[in-house]
Amino acid sequence: MRHALVIARRELESYFVSPIAYAVMTVFTFVSGLFFSNMLVHYVRRAALADAQIAQFGRSDLELDVPTVVLAEFFQNEAFLLMLAVPLLTMGLVADERRKGTIELLMTSPVRGVEIAGGKFLGALALLALILLPVVPMFAFMGAGGSWEGGVVASGLLGLLLLGGAQIAIGLFVSSLCENLLVAAVGTYGLIVTLQFIDTTGGGGSIWVRLLGAMSFYARHVNSTRGVVAVADVVYFASWITMALFLAQRSIEALRYKRS
Amino acid sequence: MIRLSHLTKKYGAVTAVDDLSFDVREGEVVGLLGPNGAGKTTTMRMVTGFVPPSAGRVRIGGDDLVDHPIRAKRKIGYLPEQPPLHPEMTVRRYLAFVAALKDVPAARTHAAVALALERARISDVADRRIGVLSKGYRQRVGLAQAIVHEPPVLVLDEPTSSLDPQQRSDVRQLILDLKGRHTIILSTHILPEVSDVADRVVIISRGRMMAVDTPANLAGRLRARASVRLEIGARAGGEIVTPEQVRQALAALPGVRDVRTHPGADGTIDARIDCAPGTDLRGAAAAAVTGRGWLLLGLSGEALSLEEVFLALTREERGGGA
Repeated sequence: MRHALVIARRELESYFVSPIAYAVMTVFTFVSGLFFSNMLVHYVRRAALADAQIAQFGRSDLELDVPTVVLAEFFQNEAFLLMLAVPLLTMGLVADERRKGTIELLMTSPVRGVEIAGGKFLGALALLALILLPVVPMFAFMGAGGSWEGGVVASGLLGLLLLGGAQIAIGLFVSSLCENLLVAAVGTYGLIVTLQFIDTTGGGGSIWVRLLGAMSFYARHVNSTRGVVAVADVVYFASWITMALFLAQRSIEALRYKRS
Repeated sequence: MIRLSHLTKKYGAVTAVDDLSFDVREGEVVGLLGPNGAGKTTTMRMVTGFVPPSAGRVRIGGDDLVDHPIRAKRKIGYLPEQPPLHPEMTVRRYLAFVAALKDVPAARTHAAVALALERARISDVADRRIGVLSKGYRQRVGLAQAIVHEPPVLVLDEPTSSLDPQQRSDVRQLILDLKGRHTIILSTHILPEVSDVADRVVIISRGRMMAVDTPANLAGRLRARASVRLEIGARAGGEIVTPEQVRQALAALPGVRDVRTHPGADGTIDARIDCAPGTDLRGAAAAAVTGRGWLLLGLSGEALSLEEVFLALTREERGGGA
């Protein structure tokens, strides 16, 4: 376990001198802020309209609970942004070590494959948590309006970490298969975009369509944006993380058999 | 301290290392010598547990690398051919990272890093990023990471091969300083690189062991096969000189074992003389050529290349076995 933390710390430190990580962090925060303010303005106007209608007619079709709607939509947008950001953060996790030859250091140290995979996963997840940090002050705007909705914010952030964790674990596995960073990124995009939207596949109500629907990242993540932390969803993402980390660990061990 | 028994590595149909067995005693320095592609790096990778052998075993201080990889790896410091450096880290942070990977207790890390910096003589660049260092410094950082946990065994793969002569002698001096503190295997494709460092030299070619001997004995064999290379103008005055004439003229010199000639580019003749042990035929050869009125365009004495020594050694061993 100590080795995993040592590797995670190094990974995190390296992100902070990497232009890719800074670019991703900047763009992620900027676009998040853009989404957030647009949505807030849009729904506050709608709510004001609703208030005016109620004052005039005594009722309104537009009535809504602004914080709940804004948070749900915001977290769904963040999930979409994560999908774009994560492959750029995971592509180098193993592929870069192979390119630099530092994989030889890890594999000749008294360290187990599971510690290598676990450490890299934790390092990338810690970076993700840091990237999500700047969005928290945005909620303070709503807090200033009187309704903070702390429960929804907490479940939304947990949901993003679980979703991001599954994406990172998959990205780590793909990175261990590829020598080329871009191939690793594209491969990860392919997998996580497919998983995100797999519930939109086909139509009708056959068992297969329903099964795929239940497997999609979107369908499993959406509850958390509404303040619901379902055990089934947590187990679902934890299973993806476990499975992908297992595959990554096996794949890293198998690098020993590659001729290089 | 290090025991290789029947070590073999196959990549598909290619056998990179073939039934290699030798021991390295505690405190001994053994040089692994061979041309490029001889299987040196594959051997080093098997000794450090990076690459699993197809057959055979490696024991490090009694611990088998396959049965007890963690215990065995703790005892090894390894400098791969390409030093495994993270260019974005500072030297000090990088060494602390490696120390933690190698199970140096957190309380001792600071002292261990300081000692490694000092022994590799890189204290002056300790807080610079590795990426901005020169090649010679980087190689020394590579050496520092190999010794940071004070392993009993050091494995150094071509530690001097990509350096300039000054850096090369610096790194060689560092290795000499490490001698006595560690049991060392180092590989190279140049014999002089190991002659003043190694106690014994193992020569491998195409994955097979060709010879084990002290550097002095091997150097003796090498010198015994010195040669002289000449370049002679094919025209002297109005006359045309033939390669055969040159061959006969040179073969008549005392101490000549063999002469080969062939027409070179731009109307020249290349000649090559293999000499008897301990003779220097450069002067005599020059005199023989100029004395006949031929044009001497180039002359160099040279030791046989390592590949040629290998060829010779293989021939000897076949001959000896018959």
